[in-house]
Amino acid sequence: MIRFLTLAPARRDFLIAALLFALMLAVPLLTGTRYVMTQLTVFFIWAVVASQWNLVLGVAGIFSLAQMALFAVGAYATAMLAYYLGLMLPAAMLLAALVTVGVSLVIGFGCLRLRGPYVALLTLAIGQVMYLVVVNDTECFTTPASGCLPLFGGARGFSRFGDLGLRDLLGSKWYIGHYYVGLVLLLAAQVFCIAIIHGPLGLAFRGLRDNPGLALARGVSRTRYQLWVFGLSAFFTGLAGAFHGAHFGVVGPTAFAFPMLLFILAMIVVGGLGTTWGPLIGAALLMWADEGLREVSDWREIGLGLVLALCVVLFPRGLAGIRLRVAR
Amino acid sequence: MDVALQILFSGLTLGAVYAVSTIGLALIYGALNMLNMAQGGLLALGGYMAMWAMQAMGFPAPLAALTAMAAGAVAGGLIFLLAARPMLGGEGFETRIFIATIGIGLMLESLILKAFGPQPQAQSLRLDGGLMFGRVNLPWQNLLIFVTAILMLAGVALLLGRSRLGRAIRATSMNREAAQLMGVPIRRIYLTILMLSGALAALSGIMISSMSGLLPNMGADPMLKAFIICVVAGLGNVPGAALVAFAIGMLEALIQYLFGVQYAFAILLCLVIAVLIWRPQGIFGQKEVVRL
Amino acid sequence: MSLLELSGLRAGYGAQDVIRGISLSVAEGEFAALVGPNGHGKTTVLRAISGLLRARGGQILLAGQPLTRLRPDRIVAAGVVHVPQGDLLFPGMSVLDNLRMGACLPAAAAEEKRRLEEVFTLLPKLRDRQGQLASTLSGGERRMVGIGRGLMTGGRILMLDEPSLGLAPIVIDQIYDLVQQLAKSGRTILVVEENAVRIADMADRMYLLDNGEIAWAGTGAGFLSSPEIFATYLGG
Repeated sequence: MIRFLTLAPARRDFLIAALLFALMLAVPLLTGTRYVMTQLTVFFIWAVVASQWNLVLGVAGIFSLAQMALFAVGAYATAMLAYYLGLMLPAAMLLAALVTVGVSLVIGFGCLRLRGPYVALLTLAIGQVMYLVVVNDTECFTTPASGCLPLFGGARGFSRFGDLGLRDLLGSKWYIGHYYVGLVLLLAAQVFCIAIIHGPLGLAFRGLRDNPGLALARGVSRTRYQLWVFGLSAFFTGLAGAFHGAHFGVVGPTAFAFPMLLFILAMIVVGGLGTTWGPLIGAALLMWADEGLREVSDWREIGLGLVLALCVVLFPRGLAGIRLRVAR
Repeated sequence: MDVALQILFSGLTLGAVYAVSTIGLALIYGALNMLNMAQGGLLALGGYMAMWAMQAMGFPAPLAALTAMAAGAVAGGLIFLLAARPMLGGEGFETRIFIATIGIGLMLESLILKAFGPQPQAQSLRLDGGLMFGRVNLPWQNLLIFVTAILMLAGVALLLGRSRLGRAIRATSMNREAAQLMGVPIRRIYLTILMLSGALAALSGIMISSMSGLLPNMGADPMLKAFIICVVAGLGNVPGAALVAFAIGMLEALIQYLFGVQYAFAILLCLVIAVLIWRPQGIFGQKEVVRL
Repeated sequence: MSLLELSGLRAGYGAQDVIRGISLSVAEGEFAALVGPNGHGKTTVLRAISGLLRARGGQILLAGQPLTRLRPDRIVAAGVVHVPQGDLLFPGMSVLDNLRMGACLPAAAAEEKRRLEEVFTLLPKLRDRQGQLASTLSGGERRMVGIGRGLMTGGRILMLDEPSLGLAPIVIDQIYDLVQQLAKSGRTILVVEENAVRIADMADRMYLLDNGEIAWAGTGAGFLSSPEIFATYLGG
C-alpha cells in the first residue's frame, strides 16, 4: 500500500486505469442484465466526453463550452458519411473523429486571442449556430421513403445509417459488444488523459498557471499548447459522439441541447475540475443520481442545479479534491 | 417608407428590451468579474411574477411590475449572498461563479416550471391597440416598452453618474482595492449591484413576455443575446452595452425582415463571432495589457 | 500613549509569511518612517494595517481599539488612511471625482466642501486640473491626487506607501515638501520609503525592516549617526 502511494503519479494512474479496466472487463460475466450493460455503455460515452472536456477546461484552463458541439460534429459526421456515402460505420466513425479534430482546431484558432469569459461565449455561440442551422433547415436535400430529409437531417435527425455489425456477429447479445467497444474507448481516452496531464503538455499548463512569467520566459507558448489540447481532445470527443450515434442508431439535434451540456459540465465540476479521475467519478455519480431522480422526474432539474451550485460553492476542487486533502 | 418605419419601430422596441437586461449584466461583470448565467431565470421570474401579481393577487399593472422587480431584486441579492459572497477572492472565481449561476438559473427555471406548468401563457401585463402612422401600426405595448426602457436607462445613468452610490459603484469597478481604501464597503456595493441587476432583469422579462408570451425557459435566448451585447460592447462597459443593445435590436429587426425570423438569431451569432475574432476585446473595450 | 501600535504582527501571501512578528508604534502627531530594501515586507505591513491583507497573527491597535478582525471599510472609518503604492487612482473619473471618492464615508462627506478647499489650497495645481480625467495626468500630478484623496478622507493617521516611487528627482522634492508640510501641521504620518537617507532627517522615529522583521528602531537623527546600519542593511 505504501509502495503504491509512493509510485510516480503517472505510473500510479496508469496502474489504476489497468485495474479498473480489468474489473470492468469482468462485469458482463457477472451480471448480464441488458439494463445494466446499456447504462454502463452510456456512462462510458459521457465519461469520455467529460474527461476530454476536463483536459480543455481544467488542465489547459480554456473556458470552452464547445465540447457538446464537437460531440455533435462527431455524431453528425458519422451519420452523414454513412448515410450519404454509404461508408462502413467503423470507417465513418474514424473519419468523423478526424473531421471533429479539424472543426475543433478552427474553433481553437478563433479563441486564441480571447480571454476566459469571451471564450465561453464565443464557443457557446458557435454551438448555438450549429444547432439553429440544423433545426431551421427545412429544405429537402433528398427524399427517402420516410419523407423529406434536409442536408443536416433537420429537427428529426438521421436514422438507419447502419450499425457496427455486432448485431450480425453476436445476435441478441449485441449490447455486450457495444459495452466492450465503449469500455475500450474510455480506456483509450483515459490513458490519453493521464499521458497529457503528467506529460510535457500538462507540465507546460501547470507552469503557465503557477508562474506565467517564468513559463513564457522559458519559451512555453500558450497558444501552441492550447491548439494541441483543442485538437487532441476533440479526437476522442468526436469518437464518443460517433459511437453514441452508432449505439442508439439515431443522430439528432438533442446532442447540442443546453441541458446535456450542463449535465456533463456538472460531472466535471462535481468530480473535480482539472483532476485526473474527477470527471469519471463525477460522471458515475451524476448518472447514478440521475437514475435515482428519474422516479421524481420533475425534481431532476432542480436537483441538478442545486448539486452544481452547491458543489462549486462548497468544494472548489470537487470530490477528487476532497479525497486529496484527506490523504494529506 | 412604410417598411422602414416598421423596422424602425420593432428595432427600437427590441433594442430597449435588450438594453434594460444588458446593463445589469454589464454592471455585474464590471464590478465583480462575474458572468451571471442565472439571468435567463431572472427574466422568466420577472415575467411570471407580474402575471401572478395581476391574476392571483389582483394587483394593478404598475404595482404588479413593482412586485416583479422586487422579486428579481431579492433573487439577485440571494445569488450574491449564497453563491458569490462565499467564493469572493478565492481562486478561479470567474469560472466557479459562472458554473454556480448556471446551476441557480436551472433551479429557478425548474421551480417556475413546477409552479406554473410547462404550457405557454400570455402575459397579463400588456396594452392592446395601437397608433396608426399611415399604414404602419405602432402598438401601444411597444411604445410603453420603449418609454419605460428609456426612463429606466436614464434613471440608471443618473444613479451612476450623479449620486454618491453611483460613484462608489464606478470606483469599485475601476479599482476594487482603491475603493476599499476609500472606505467603500464593497460587499454592500456588490449586493446592491446584484439586486439592481435582478430588478432590471425582471422588468426586461415582463417586456419580453408581453411580446412573445410566458414560458419557463423564455429567458434562454434573450440571455444569450444580452451576453452577446456585453461582449460586443466590451465586457463591463455599461454605456457601450446600452448603445450596442439598440444597434443589435435594429439589426435583428432588419435581418428578420430580409431573411426571415428563423435565421435572425443564427446570422446575429455569426456576426458576433466575426466581431470577437476581429476585435477580441469588444468594440469599445480597451486592449488589455497583461503585466507579469 | 501611542496612536498606532503593532505587536507581533504576522502576514503574508500563499504559504509564506512575508512579515514575521513585527512590533512598532506611532505616537499622536509623530512622523514615523518604515524603511528597508525592496521586497522585505514594507508594503505588506501597510496592507495588513488597512485590512487589504488579513493578519495571520499579532495585534493591531488604533488608539487602543483592535483593528485586526475588521474589514477594510471599517478600518478606514476608524481613522486609518492608506495612500497606496502606485496611487491606484480611478482612471475613468475626473480629478474632482477622484478627490470626492476620498470623502465617501458619511463622516467625511459632511466635511467634503471644506476639505476640498483645503486640498486645493495645499495643491493649487489640482484646482486647475479638476475636470481632467485621472488617466491623462502626469506621474507627479497623479501622486498629488493620490495624496489629496487621502487628505479628503481625514482620519487619524495617514499612511503613505513610497510617495517618491517612479518620480523625477525634482518632483520627489516637491512631494516631500508637501509631506513635511503635512507633518508640521500636526498630522500623524507613517511613511514607507526605500530611500532611508532621504527621509531620515524628517522622521521623528524610524524602523528598519529587514527580511520581514524589525532590525533597528530609533530616531531619525540616531539613524543618520549610526553608520554601521548602512553597512549592514543598506549595503552603503
